[in-house]
Amino acid sequence: MAHSALRKVVPFFLAFAMMAAAAAAELPTFTLTFQPDGSLDPVRLEVPAGRFKLLLINHSKEPVEFESLPLRKEKVMGPGVESFVVLTISRPDEYPFFDDFHQDIKGTLVVVPKP
Amino acid sequence: MEQVAFIVWRESVEALLLVGILYAWLRQSPEGRKGLPWLWGGVACGALLAGLLALLLLGISSWLSSEGQELFQAAMALVASALVVQMVYWMRRHGRTLKQDLQAGADREMERANWWGVLFLVAIAVAREGSETVVFLYGMVAAGVSSGSAWKLALAGVAGFVAALGSFWLLQLGGKFLTWRRFFRLTEVLLLLLACSLLVTGTDRLISLGILPTLIDPVWDSSALLATDSGLGKVLADFAGYRAFPALSQLLTWLLYWIVVWALLRRTRQRSAPRPRPSSVSA
Repeated sequence: MAHSALRKVVPFFLAFAMMAAAAAAELPTFTLTFQPDGSLDPVRLEVPAGRFKLLLINHSKEPVEFESLPLRKEKVMGPGVESFVVLTISRPDEYPFFDDFHQDIKGTLVVVPKP
Repeated sequence: MEQVAFIVWRESVEALLLVGILYAWLRQSPEGRKGLPWLWGGVACGALLAGLLALLLLGISSWLSSEGQELFQAAMALVASALVVQMVYWMRRHGRTLKQDLQAGADREMERANWWGVLFLVAIAVAREGSETVVFLYGMVAAGVSSGSAWKLALAGVAGFVAALGSFWLLQLGGKFLTWRRFFRLTEVLLLLLACSLLVTGTDRLISLGILPTLIDPVWDSSALLATDSGLGKVLADFAGYRAFPALSQLLTWLLYWIVVWALLRRTRQRSAPRPRPSSVSA
């Protein structure tokens, strides 16, 4: 029962994923780097409200997990891995995030009103 | 070192909790024991899938795009949530009637579907949690090789996993010390909370993918009262779906979930309660 439902749903997901990936290509992009010593660059990242792409680069030797419940994101990355998340935030505020694999590494996403 | 052990424990404990509860449930009756091969099959499939997902997270493989991964995560969380509720419902209904049904041979088809459900549920739970554990341990040990502490790190990882196995063992012990009825009620509540948290996690993913509208975002901000980044707030977020900044659509999903669960469980009660018992009448 669950089996056949899954089989029906997967192709739809894949098609959607490709569409979403194409749409993500033209978004304003900001970069957050996990430096070789594990610290964040920048620790405070300022972005305009709206839809944007956050490029995540792990330059450290250890795995990291970019996580933020207020941002509704969770992304595990092995050492040297590059990935991204797409965020839509309309409410200007400060949104904390952290590295769930190194709990002392914390940062803030500062969303400012649209120019 | 303690941090490595703690993270491995935390990543494994959710899957082990689920497997542990199902194991205790199935072991309870001879009919349920038939499901055990499906349970272990689920663990094996889950471990395999965890390995594949880990390759993806380590950047070695790229068979899913970043968005595709997120959709896959959303689907896993939502399917797992539905399967947990279905399992609780099935156990409630069959706890008493399993024997009769099987003797009558009427429900064999349904039983088979349920065993597939067990396999899927366990596989998803193990894969979800296992993939992150694999990435974490692999990366930590690989980083430790250059600094000469790989052995210690690997040991810390093993210690974390053993601690998680200890939680599994405690659960089985609980099944022995508590009456079956009480143990079932307790684990049932745990599973329903866990399913709720999986559902909320799924809605998080769907919102961030732009599939589910937020309606109002956030409805409130209770981060000053109970933040989700540490302590009780994090435990509640992980095991009961608490959010400090819920979107209206999440809140509605949450409400709908508990209404559906309440209605489902009420149905099982109505069905089994008003059965007259001749023996008690004569006594």
